[in-house]
Amino acid sequence: MKPVRPSLADAAERHLDDVYRYVLYLTRDPQAAEDLAAETFERAVRLWHRFDPARGSERTWLCQIARTAALDHLRAEERRRRREARHADLADRASEPDAQILSPWLRQALATLSAADREVIVLRVILDLDPADAGRVLGISPSACTTRLSRALARLEEKVGSQLVA
Amino acid sequence: MSPELVTALRAETPAAPSLLRDRIAAITAASPPPRRFTTRRALAFAVPAVAGLSLAVALAVGLNTAIDPGPSRTAAPSAPDAREGITKSLGPAVAEGQPVTTLRAPVRDASAPAPTRGRAQDYRASLTLLVGGTEELSDTTQKALRIARRLGGYVVSVGYSTPEPAEGTAEVRLRIPVSRVQAAIVQFNGLGRILAQDTQIADLQQGLDDLTRRIRALERRAARAHGVEREQLLSQIAALRQQRAQITRRAAFATVALNLTTHEPKAPAAAPGRLHRALDDAVGILLAELAIAAYALIVASPLIVLLAAAFFGSRAYRHHADQRLLERA
Repeated sequence: MKPVRPSLADAAERHLDDVYRYVLYLTRDPQAAEDLAAETFERAVRLWHRFDPARGSERTWLCQIARTAALDHLRAEERRRRREARHADLADRASEPDAQILSPWLRQALATLSAADREVIVLRVILDLDPADAGRVLGISPSACTTRLSRALARLEEKVGSQLVA
Repeated sequence: MSPELVTALRAETPAAPSLLRDRIAAITAASPPPRRFTTRRALAFAVPAVAGLSLAVALAVGLNTAIDPGPSRTAAPSAPDAREGITKSLGPAVAEGQPVTTLRAPVRDASAPAPTRGRAQDYRASLTLLVGGTEELSDTTQKALRIARRLGGYVVSVGYSTPEPAEGTAEVRLRIPVSRVQAAIVQFNGLGRILAQDTQIADLQQGLDDLTRRIRALERRAARAHGVEREQLLSQIAALRQQRAQITRRAAFATVALNLTTHEPKAPAAAPGRLHRALDDAVGILLAELAIAAYALIVASPLIVLLAAAFFGSRAYRHHADQRLLERA
């Protein structure tokens, strides 16, 4: 049976929060997350005709677009920081985004993790994607995704374990 | 993984701000921009177009052939016509480079083209005659041999075969003096019903004249030469004279192949119908197109492999670079 293809407006309504959380965890910057979420849906409007429900859910597809947009953003940010570091000692200014919407313990913990670790955590734990869908977003196999999640959670637990108990 | 950690993480589920929600609603409400003409879309159009064009060409050629069979595809002749079309080639062909005249006389016309007087010619004729039965076959064969001898000719070979009691064939190969070959053919034609007649005449006079000129030139040189050179020239002259004598002997007699048979040859299988021919031609064209495509693919395959390697290599590199970026961020 052919899967039903929803409208993009419906998909946006249902999955905007997921897309926003995903890019927020990736960037740790609420303002950048808003911009990236908007850019994700702008790209989705252009690419919606290529969405095939048989190949994955619309949430997975939106996350794949969001990931591409986030990678472009991170790449641009890295270039900007490098450029600024050459001209002035401003590199540290942008490394502490104002993610006030997350609790302090999580902000601190996420700051110690790489974007790769944060990404797999948000996909598997926060968005609750299964290993296959998360692997599709990340471009890796489900087993590799599971391994990467275990390591990321172990690192996170190492950082915040004592705070959680407290 | 620690359940407490997962629970704590899942408790942190920031929602998209309402301003962002409005912004996204505005974005998704807008109509998508017109689709650009991408490579993928061009391929999606070009591949079926090329396939359709190939099929159309094949069908057009097939239909064209069905409508106009052309000179190479004559319809199956009726039984009497089939008999008229039957010819039998004569032994070894005449020497290359020499002019050949081939005449296939209508079978009801018993006459044969006459050799040209005063010119050396290689004259070959073939006759296929139908006789009443095996007894008549034997008598007719004997009569043919007698005619040949009476006209000053001789028998080169005779093949007589009766595989069935009521059926048989005889293949008689005769040499008849050229001056009397026409009379011989007229007499042979009276031995049975003519099924086929084939006459080939090749001019030998030109070669003979060339040989004569060369011999005379060598004779003039030999008259002036002495010693070893003269001996060599004389041996060359002797060889050329021998060659000329062979041609003269060959031109003196005509070769006649007389095929006697007790049964009419079976009519050839019916030619395929128009539809069948059209399909055959269409399939042939399609196969040719496939062969060209396969050839092009084979020629382009190294480039395709390189492009594929470059594509997958750049994709792997990009994936690796993305991962390193995420590790650093």
